[in-house]
Amino acid sequence: MVLSFLFLSGTILLILQTTLLHALPEWFGRPNLLFLFIVFLGTYLDIYKGAVLALLFGLIMDIFSGVFLGLHPVIYLVLFFVLQVVSRHLAINESIHQIPLVALSYLFTASSIFVFTSILSPESRLYWAWGNEILQVLILAVICIPFFNFFHWLTTVFDSRNSNNPFRRHKTGNRYRMQ
Amino acid sequence: MRKKNKRARQIRLFLFFGLLLTLFIILIVSTVGRQEFNAPHKLALEIIGTAQYGMTRVTGSFKNGWRNYTALINVRAENARLREELQKHKAVNNEYREAVATNVRLAKLLEMKETLPSPTLTAEIIGMDPSQWFKTIIIDRGSSDGVQAGMPAVTVEGVVGQVTNTSPHFAKILLATDPNSALDALVQETRVQGIVKGGGAGFHMEYVLKNNEVAKGDKIVTSGIGGVFPKGVPIGTVSKVEKSGRGMFQEIEIEPAADFSQLEYLIIVMKKDPLAK
Repeated sequence: MVLSFLFLSGTILLILQTTLLHALPEWFGRPNLLFLFIVFLGTYLDIYKGAVLALLFGLIMDIFSGVFLGLHPVIYLVLFFVLQVVSRHLAINESIHQIPLVALSYLFTASSIFVFTSILSPESRLYWAWGNEILQVLILAVICIPFFNFFHWLTTVFDSRNSNNPFRRHKTGNRYRMQ
Repeated sequence: MRKKNKRARQIRLFLFFGLLLTLFIILIVSTVGRQEFNAPHKLALEIIGTAQYGMTRVTGSFKNGWRNYTALINVRAENARLREELQKHKAVNNEYREAVATNVRLAKLLEMKETLPSPTLTAEIIGMDPSQWFKTIIIDRGSSDGVQAGMPAVTVEGVVGQVTNTSPHFAKILLATDPNSALDALVQETRVQGIVKGGGAGFHMEYVLKNNEVAKGDKIVTSGIGGVFPKGVPIGTVSKVEKSGRGMFQEIEIEPAADFSQLEYLIIVMKKDPLAK
């Protein structure tokens, strides 16, 4: 259930990003909300659920961005697994640590897209625009803490409501013995 | 117990690297192979495209309201200017009519075959590429309207891009400013040919020899070679020419004719047999 809720949230973020946020002036910057959501999934969800969602969002991103089918699923999954490893070994649940984590993750994703595209299409000239990248990193760094807190709160509310659902079958503590 | 844990960890690691390897293979296969959308891609585009369409409608109505309000401020002065322009254009139009009539008469005399231009279809942009690296858009017309991969997209100002993928009601367009886009072009005045490639905000023209005459301000149009774009569609104006670099070709930068930052509607040229790639 949480999986479908998160999938719906990510899809709404993608729709907002491809429509509403493009109305913002270019100098103001347009936050990459779906990327931030992938980072959230990497730090919040367990490996199996998170990997499924990262893969799905990667496949959807391929439809709306770029020309290489398969580029986004690979990059999002690699990012997700890297975040899983990092979140197990570092105390990144502390809010202040999430800012450098988001910045580094963004630079990792951007450079992966740059490298993959350069390899897959060597005849096309891809430009690494530091100005745009730094602006995006700054925007993500500013909004990441409220964004993570909001989705954390939302999933907690959703989880608690879901656990109070009288129609939901409650699992017994012992999964191996029939009672 | 410890052995079991170790084995479980090994299986997890194996699964993890197996998954990664599979995905890399998928990436390579899908990249080397066809880049066309399959059924799930089309279904996802249909569902999310509908939501994008709705969102564009809502934001569009707000935008229009604001524009109408701001336009009212200068409406009287603009009205007078437009009336004056209309008088001028009426006079020019009469001259053109005369020229067309002469042209038709001369064409009949020469028994030339009439070449009808391809029909066109107007489409609204409902979604823009969310990444900074690629320049693609989603439009509200799809294969049910007759749109096919390979069809050129233009505006009244000039070239916009080319349809790459379609679903029944929506289509994806690769903008000419995307680094993966390439167009056969020529300099309108000197007829020098080259390839125009996307460069993010503008274009650059490649494979133009240094001994060819290209100057700042020259108009660049499509050459019609390759059969994707009709001949003579404006691409842009030369903004910089660099001959001092190494190699046998010039470095030419082009200012696009179409304003890509203000795109809202575009025209799809409905060619009968569009070249897909």
